[in-house]
Amino acid sequence: MHIPDGFLSTPVWAALDALAAPAAGFAARRAQHGFDESKAPLLGVMGAFVFAAQMINFPVGVGTSGHLVGGALLACTLGPAAASVVMTAILAIQALVFQDGGVLALGANVLNMAVVGVLAGYLPYHLWGRGRMRKAAIFAGGAFSVLASAVLALAELLLSGVHMPAPAMGISLGLFAVSALIEGAITMAVVGALEKIQPGFVRQPAPGHSVLVSALGITAVLLAAGGVVFASTSPDGIEHLAMQAGIAKPLSSYGGGAGVAGTGLIFLLLLAGGRLWRKRSA
Amino acid sequence: MSYNAVEEWSRGSSPLHRRAAAAKLFSLTVFLLVLATAQRRLPLLAGALALILIAGFQVASIPPLAAMWRAAAVLPFTGLFAVMSWMSGNPTHAVELMLKSYLSALTVLLLVGTTPIPELLGSLELVKAPRFLLTVVQFLYRYLFLVVDEAAHMRAAAAARGGMTFQAASGALAVLFVRSHSRAEAIHRAMTARGFDGRFRPLFEHPFGAKDVQFAAVAAGLPLLARVLTDWYR
Repeated sequence: MHIPDGFLSTPVWAALDALAAPAAGFAARRAQHGFDESKAPLLGVMGAFVFAAQMINFPVGVGTSGHLVGGALLACTLGPAAASVVMTAILAIQALVFQDGGVLALGANVLNMAVVGVLAGYLPYHLWGRGRMRKAAIFAGGAFSVLASAVLALAELLLSGVHMPAPAMGISLGLFAVSALIEGAITMAVVGALEKIQPGFVRQPAPGHSVLVSALGITAVLLAAGGVVFASTSPDGIEHLAMQAGIAKPLSSYGGGAGVAGTGLIFLLLLAGGRLWRKRSA
Repeated sequence: MSYNAVEEWSRGSSPLHRRAAAAKLFSLTVFLLVLATAQRRLPLLAGALALILIAGFQVASIPPLAAMWRAAAVLPFTGLFAVMSWMSGNPTHAVELMLKSYLSALTVLLLVGTTPIPELLGSLELVKAPRFLLTVVQFLYRYLFLVVDEAAHMRAAAAARGGMTFQAASGALAVLFVRSHSRAEAIHRAMTARGFDGRFRPLFEHPFGAKDVQFAAVAAGLPLLARVLTDWYR
C-alpha cells in the first residue's frame, strides 16, 4: 500500500519526511560501509529484481494469487541496511516514474516499507535464524514485514483524518493478515529454493544480538499496531482520541504552519541527536 | 516494455526540457506544497493549477491527454477512500482526496516527462541526498526494464506450460534472483574495467543559469499566486 500525495495531513507527512530523511541517510551509510561504493550495481539490480518479482504470481487459492513484496527476502540476502536502501530506491522510482505513491508522502512510504518493514522483516531472522526455528523465523519475517508496513500506513491515514467506517477497517485488517501470511509463505519458499540452488546467497545472522535494538524494534511495531486498534475501536478514530486528550480540534485541522514548525523541531532534534551520537562513537 | 512513455517524453527538446533540473525540482516542490496545504476553495484552486499543468504539457510537447490518462493510475486507490469518505457523510473530503492526489501525480509527471532521470538524480545531490542511494536508484532504473522483461518471458513460458504451482513460482523467483545477482556482478566487473568511480555523469547537462532563475520564479510564482487569489476571493 503506497500512500499517494493528498492523503496525509501536513503535520503527518512533514513529520514523517523529517524522520525518514535521516533514517534513509543512516541506512545508506551503513550499506555503503558494508558494500563498497563500486558495488552499487548489485543493489540496483536487486531492486529491479523486486520490481520484476511482482510479475511472477503465486497461486494461493481458487482464482486468487499473490506476489512477493520483498522486504524480508532482501533483508535475509543482502542484510537490513542494504535491503532498506534497495526498498527506498524502489519507492523513489515508483513515485517518480509510475505514479505509485506520492513525492511528499515518500517519507511516509519509506518509513513504512523501507525502514520499519525491513527491520520488522529482519528481526525474527536476526533472533532465531540460526537454530531449529529458522524456517519459522523466515516465515514470521515475511509476515511481520507486510503487517507492520500496512498497519503503520493505516495508522498514518487515520491520524490524517481519512474516514474509514468500522466494517471497512475490519476488512482492511483481515486483508492485511492474509497478505502477511502469503508474504511469509512466499519468502520462506523462495529462501528455501535459493538455498538449494546456491546456499551462499542467504546471509547467516550474526551470532549474539543487541537486546536493546530488538526490544526497540518490537516495541515500535507493537505501539503502532496497538495505536490503530485503539483508534479503530472508537467511533471517530483519532478525533475521539484528541477529544479525550482535551485537544479541541482534530490533528488534521491544524494548518501548514504547525506542520512546518513540527518538522523543523523534529529535524533539529534528530540532527542534534545524530551529532551527539557521532561525537560519542568517534 | 510498453510503459516506457515517460522515458521517451523526457528526451524532448522543448524550452521546459532545456531548463536545469534543480529549477524544475524547486518548482515541483512549491507546486506540491501549495496543493498539499490548501484547504479553502479547493476546486477553484485545483482548476487553476490544472490549467497551469496543461499549459506546461503543451509547452513541453507532451500530449496532455496521454499524461492525464497516465496520472489516472492513482484514481483506483484514491477512489476507494473517496467513496468511504462520501459514505461517511464527508463529500468535501472525498473531493479533496481525488483532486489532491490526481493533480500531485500530474505535477510529478510533468517533471519526469521533461527531465531525464539521471539529470533529476543529479539535482537531488544538491539537496544532500546520499550519493550512494542515488547511484542505486540510477542502476535500478537502468536495469529495471531488462529484468522485468526477463520475468515476463518466464511468466509467458510458464503460462505456455499450463501455469505455475506455488513451488514452481518460488523456484522461478530463486532463478531470477540468481540471474540478477550474476548480472550485477558482470555489470560491476565491466564498469570497473571502464573506470567507473561510483558516479554517473549525464550525457547532456543543463547548467543552472539566469533563464533557470526566471523559469523558477514563474513556475513557482504561478501556483502561489493562484493560491493567494483563491484564498482571498470572496
